[in-house]
Amino acid sequence: MIRNNDTISPYQLAIIIIMTVISVEAFSLAGDAASALGTDGWIAIVILGIINIFAVLFMIKLNSIFPGKTIAEYSQIIIGTIPGKILTSFFAVYLIIVIAYVTRAFTEVIKMFLLFRTPTEVIMLSLILVCTYIVRGGIECVARINELLFPILFIPFLIIILFGLPIMDFSNLRPVLQTPAGKVLTSIPRMIFSFGGIELALYYIGFMKEPKRAYKPLILSVLFLIFFFTMIIVFCIAAFGAKTITKIIWPLVSYIRLISLPGVFIDRLDGVILSLWVLTVFTTIVSTLFIASYSISKVAGTNENKQFVLPLVIIIYYLALQPVSIAELYEWGSIIFPYAVAAFIYAVPVVLLLIAKLRKLGVKQNESN
Amino acid sequence: MGFFSKKKSGNVKKEKEMGKLINSRNLDENTRRLKERLKDCDDIVYKEFRVGEKQNLRFLLVYIDGMSSRDLLNVSVLNSLMVHAREVPPEATEPGDELFKLVRYGGLPASELADKDNLEDAVLAILIGDAVLFIDSTEKCIIIGAKGWPMRGVSEPNTEALIRGPRDGFTETFRINTALVRRRIRDSRLKLKQLSVGKRSFTDVGIMYIEDIAEPELLEEVFRRINTIDIDAIIESGYIEQLIEDNYLSPFPQISVTERPDEVAASLYEGRVAILVDNSPFALIVPTTLNSLFQSPEDYYDRWYVASILRFIRYMASILSLVLPASYIAVTSFHPGILPAKLVISMAAARQGIPFPVLIEAFIMEVTFELLREAGLRLPVPIGSAIGIVGGIVIGTAAVDAGIVSPIMVIIVAITAISSFSIPNYSLSVGFRMLRFSLMFLAGILGLYGIMLGVLLIASHLVKLKSFGIPYMSPYVSFVGSDYKDTVVRVPIFLMGKRPAQIARNRIRLKNNRNLINRLEQEGSDDKE
Repeated sequence: MIRNNDTISPYQLAIIIIMTVISVEAFSLAGDAASALGTDGWIAIVILGIINIFAVLFMIKLNSIFPGKTIAEYSQIIIGTIPGKILTSFFAVYLIIVIAYVTRAFTEVIKMFLLFRTPTEVIMLSLILVCTYIVRGGIECVARINELLFPILFIPFLIIILFGLPIMDFSNLRPVLQTPAGKVLTSIPRMIFSFGGIELALYYIGFMKEPKRAYKPLILSVLFLIFFFTMIIVFCIAAFGAKTITKIIWPLVSYIRLISLPGVFIDRLDGVILSLWVLTVFTTIVSTLFIASYSISKVAGTNENKQFVLPLVIIIYYLALQPVSIAELYEWGSIIFPYAVAAFIYAVPVVLLLIAKLRKLGVKQNESN
Repeated sequence: MGFFSKKKSGNVKKEKEMGKLINSRNLDENTRRLKERLKDCDDIVYKEFRVGEKQNLRFLLVYIDGMSSRDLLNVSVLNSLMVHAREVPPEATEPGDELFKLVRYGGLPASELADKDNLEDAVLAILIGDAVLFIDSTEKCIIIGAKGWPMRGVSEPNTEALIRGPRDGFTETFRINTALVRRRIRDSRLKLKQLSVGKRSFTDVGIMYIEDIAEPELLEEVFRRINTIDIDAIIESGYIEQLIEDNYLSPFPQISVTERPDEVAASLYEGRVAILVDNSPFALIVPTTLNSLFQSPEDYYDRWYVASILRFIRYMASILSLVLPASYIAVTSFHPGILPAKLVISMAAARQGIPFPVLIEAFIMEVTFELLREAGLRLPVPIGSAIGIVGGIVIGTAAVDAGIVSPIMVIIVAITAISSFSIPNYSLSVGFRMLRFSLMFLAGILGLYGIMLGVLLIASHLVKLKSFGIPYMSPYVSFVGSDYKDTVVRVPIFLMGKRPAQIARNRIRLKNNRNLINRLEQEGSDDKE
């Protein structure tokens, strides 16, 4: 009962992945989808989601060769100590950039809708510092905070978003399925970052007692994400139309702004939803920051990762301040992330799995039976 | 000479083994030693008396006046030894071990007897309130359980009054408290382990648990923590609570405190461990979760939907008492656009002419209210009501009339106050009070965003916190379906078939009898037809 602080349950794994993937990207997702495929924007997300289910299966397969180990540990077994450490440090650098990007993007949203005159630095630093407190608590605390915040975030959000039905016009969704298949496929790389965060499963499965039990929660969480993203895209396109939506930076916020709850004394809901959205950005940063510091501790060869958290904050803060404007920030994002996300979700697990199979590493099937 | 030296060396050996001074065989020597140890303790009674035909059997009865029951000593010691002994000629006419056995096993009609042979134990027994009988020419003395001091009767607990439920509450006497719990658990597996804590106070500390329900690791942890306590005196159970809690910096109580034996019994049935302390009517219950602090014993005595509604109100009240003033500050000073235009205008009109910013205004009112509450708590009841008048009329109305605070602020403070009174646990509501002020600061700096950051910090802290190895936020952070039956919604009792998974071992608690009842009903109606 007085357990070690190092395992998570399958249910917690699913929630961590959902809460990590959904972050500030959800605000601009509908605009990206509409600019890529017009009214068929949601198809790209569905296809991408199905691809990601297979990616997740590969990750679990890879992890179940080395039960109880994370990619930072078994990559050193598969491809050797030094290349493994290099891969892990690439991972850490990528995650740090993701945190900086998310922090900056969310700060811009907050500045636009909630705090007009507060300096960017104050908003950013307060957010990251609040995150470090829980990251220093270890894996179990990270898992528990995700589990605690999940219903607090989604129950009100799903209720509120359904009140937008009167402002939607579903004829905006037509024409359906008119995009040629080639265009759909070429648009997918542009949307890849919306599922960024799934690659953390490579680490989090390693914190479970039995990797075999990860199949159900992970597939369910990807299905939940497909449902959630599709719903946002469909609602936003239905409310604004595919043409208008490409001109709006954050269609989801604008959509929520239009909703009015009958008989409630809150007039504009975007402030409320944005405050709620702090929760999901918080969990994204927490799960990512924990893994970033964990990767660094594995590269450095230490057991604890607490001491790396605060130095990371300084780096993240510095990186997040680099883009001058939101346009520059999104430009940077569109250059870096499609390749990085594709590499870490698809390339790394598949290649590592192949090498592991070729070298016949890991727990032998016969022995475990 | 040889005989004496042998005996003496035997005694020395024994003393070395026990580290305590063995009694002398000589009564006068024992009396001298006792009086030396208990010098200047004028409340100690030394009653020396002689028994026997030749009046050669000497006895010494020692006890503390007021701590031992004089009736018991008169009847079962003095009367039986001095009066009844004359009616039956004793077989042991000479002082010695024979006499001791006679007295120990036949002469004293008292239910609680023990024999000791060293001074330390005798002195401790005297100080606890027992009486000690020394007999001439034997090393052993008899300890007579004669504790009997003025004690308060069992009465209704003031701090945890219920509408429905038993009216008995703990008292300051340890033995009464343990009996009150045992009366509710007639099971041989209910265990009571007694320890004595405090190097000077020797306070009785009892650890109660049900053997096959409580987790052994939890018990081990409780014993381990209590055994680490090295203190001169335990005055109240609060000492123990603060010495063994997990996180002393946390604003949240990690050990729950109750005056109600029914609550202790219910917790024991859930697999928790209760710690009872002498001289304190408050029992400690570990481990504690935030959810359990929102529960009241009444929730289980009332029907399920009544209980569920009350639980929901309590949760809402705690959230209100935490964030209401902060939200008001945030909305009025940062995001007036969230509210409908009419409300914004009326609020702005109410704030017209008020010289302070909202944050300062809110602080003035909240601090005033805290002062009123504290003053009302300390004053005797007749004057306490005067404080209410001063607070309600003078400060509330006068401050608004003088244009220092807006009427809306008074409403906000009043709602917050009422909400914080509806939290069933006192120390939890104090914790919320403290956090409310920090949230008000954050709201004044960063608006709604600041409140969310503050709430996230509190959530992070709660999630980190553990009470004796159990996550403080369970069951909300460890998904076990059956544990959710006793959270915000308290499901009908026949559905609560299992004990909490995080805490208890032997989880089956009851069998659903609904279908049995329904079937009987059906059969009954069939018979009629």
